[in-house]
Amino acid sequence: MPYHLFKCSECIPEREKHAVIKGHGETLTDALPLGYLNTIPGSISERGCAYCGAKHVIGTPMKDVIHMSHGPIGCTYDTWQTKRYLSDNDNFQLKYTFATDMKESNIVFGAEKILKKNILEAFKAFPNIKRMTIYQTCASALIGDDIGAIAQEVMDEMPDVDIFVCNSPGFGGPSQSGGHHKINIAWMNQKVGTFEPEITSDYVINYVGEYNIQGDQEVMQDFFERMGIQVLSTFTGNGSYDGLRAMHKAHLNVLECARSAEYICNELRVRYGIPRLDIDGFGFEPLSTSLRKIAMFFGIEERAEAIIEEETKRWEPELLWYKERLKGKKVCLWPGGSKLWHWANVIHEEMGLEVVSVYTKFGHQGDMEKGISRCEEGALAIDDPNELEGLEAMDELEPDIIFTGKRPGEVAKKIRVPYLNAHAYHNGPWKGYEGWVRFARDVYNGIYSPIHELASLNISRDEIPQDKGFMTQRLISDVNLPEEIKNSTVLREYTGEYDAMKRLKDRVYPEFPRKSEEVKDVVAI
Amino acid sequence: MEEALYKERVENLLEFILKKCLWQFHSRAWDRERQNTNIIEKTTQILCEEPVNKDTPEDRCYYVDAAYLAENYKKRFPWVAEIDKTELKKVMQGLKEKLDFVLITGSLNKELTDPHY
Repeated sequence: MPYHLFKCSECIPEREKHAVIKGHGETLTDALPLGYLNTIPGSISERGCAYCGAKHVIGTPMKDVIHMSHGPIGCTYDTWQTKRYLSDNDNFQLKYTFATDMKESNIVFGAEKILKKNILEAFKAFPNIKRMTIYQTCASALIGDDIGAIAQEVMDEMPDVDIFVCNSPGFGGPSQSGGHHKINIAWMNQKVGTFEPEITSDYVINYVGEYNIQGDQEVMQDFFERMGIQVLSTFTGNGSYDGLRAMHKAHLNVLECARSAEYICNELRVRYGIPRLDIDGFGFEPLSTSLRKIAMFFGIEERAEAIIEEETKRWEPELLWYKERLKGKKVCLWPGGSKLWHWANVIHEEMGLEVVSVYTKFGHQGDMEKGISRCEEGALAIDDPNELEGLEAMDELEPDIIFTGKRPGEVAKKIRVPYLNAHAYHNGPWKGYEGWVRFARDVYNGIYSPIHELASLNISRDEIPQDKGFMTQRLISDVNLPEEIKNSTVLREYTGEYDAMKRLKDRVYPEFPRKSEEVKDVVAI
Repeated sequence: MEEALYKERVENLLEFILKKCLWQFHSRAWDRERQNTNIIEKTTQILCEEPVNKDTPEDRCYYVDAAYLAENYKKRFPWVAEIDKTELKKVMQGLKEKLDFVLITGSLNKELTDPHY
């Protein structure tokens, strides 16, 4: 596995150790990109800051909470509504954002007074919301405001409210990942174990590292409820503040995004003896395996099998329709931290895509170990790439599509490479069986959009064809397909609804009788 | 079993774990050792039709990963069910050693020895 130095980065030779080509017959012990290091000066990184990682990624998906930034208004503005983490309480946490709006005078004279004023005003403006998180920023960290003391003062004056303080200023780590770490540990230390929940099932889990992007959490919760499993808390998408204070009462931690949330699972295992089960919620086979494992842990395998059979029967013909048309298409899998390993193998196996490159903006070396293991030989793995390296890679690899964030995605569009938003999705949810078909549909629509027929023409260079009519998606995608596939009566395009979440809201869940108290205690050991 | 065949079998089993599983990638060396030891041990017990301890939540969690592994090994590699149990145990021991080498002792991951989570 040779290290790879981009031509554009020859002036930054340290970058060589951050990119590797997966070679034949070589292993992770031969080469592994460096990761989770400070960005090299001169390399224009695409990363976020540690405040953003704490607030934007992990804190704000919590739904019944006033999320307040203690800092300049820009910090909050840039972390507001930029990701589609929905909630089932009318998206309170997406609609409203709060900041103390620190100014220069506050830097000179201190900002604790305005912090307290803002806290009181916010609780007054939303009298039904009794929970708050406060996020330190670079500015409030540098002047040394004691946010914890102010929060305690307010809690003493208002006994019905509870406040969580997250000290993760922007400079508190090499990337947003530093913020993920800080908020995990802070929540564990400050809040877990401070609330006693109502237990309604013999089978209780925390669903960890899931952020309800376009409804992902609700899709998975639907499966769990159909199996009679109580989701005590979700860390943190669509999660409630008090549910997350009660994480210590679960029997099992089901971990999805280990990059952002393995810390709290590890601590829950050490401090409370709750085991950690890593799962993949994306793709038919990985999701089925995950449901089976969770069911097997509780001894309710038949409930998982019923769901897997029903969902696979309903959605597989549609997934295969897209797979036939996506086979061999090249993709650069360039997400943030965890999807490079969640998707690297399953999009190859279940959609027929060829992953020619994986990258991570803020992943650690462990994420690269997973990503490189799961992609095929020849793939280029890059840690913390800069824009020029992204362009050079696309130029060399000629992908048909890239899955990435909106900043590098827009860069790709400029060189006429379609992209899908790997962080916030295009037409999600992408989890679950239907969700996986929706993802395949988005990939198909991205690659075969008729706009590329026109956009790829350079009017100052190319001859504009006068003799060709408009090509539809199907004309483009089906041109080389065998007749039996083209005219298959089994395979079909996506037939779900525009709003995939609607049918979940009307679902009536089965009631499973509880076991005796004696057995319950055994399960809960 | 010839050395070349033994090595090939170990590689096949390892490749499946690296491609399809996540349990081996915990972030610290001591957790990887614990995971590798328990899950490979339980997988071996399942494949050799020996009793498997599932008494505690921790054991059950190892067990579900081991059961998935054992089922897929039997499905994908017919020799798993055909060879002598002593030979199978030798292959599984080789797998454990290779897994420990690739992900712990020979790993280039500098975070493995960080004393904190």
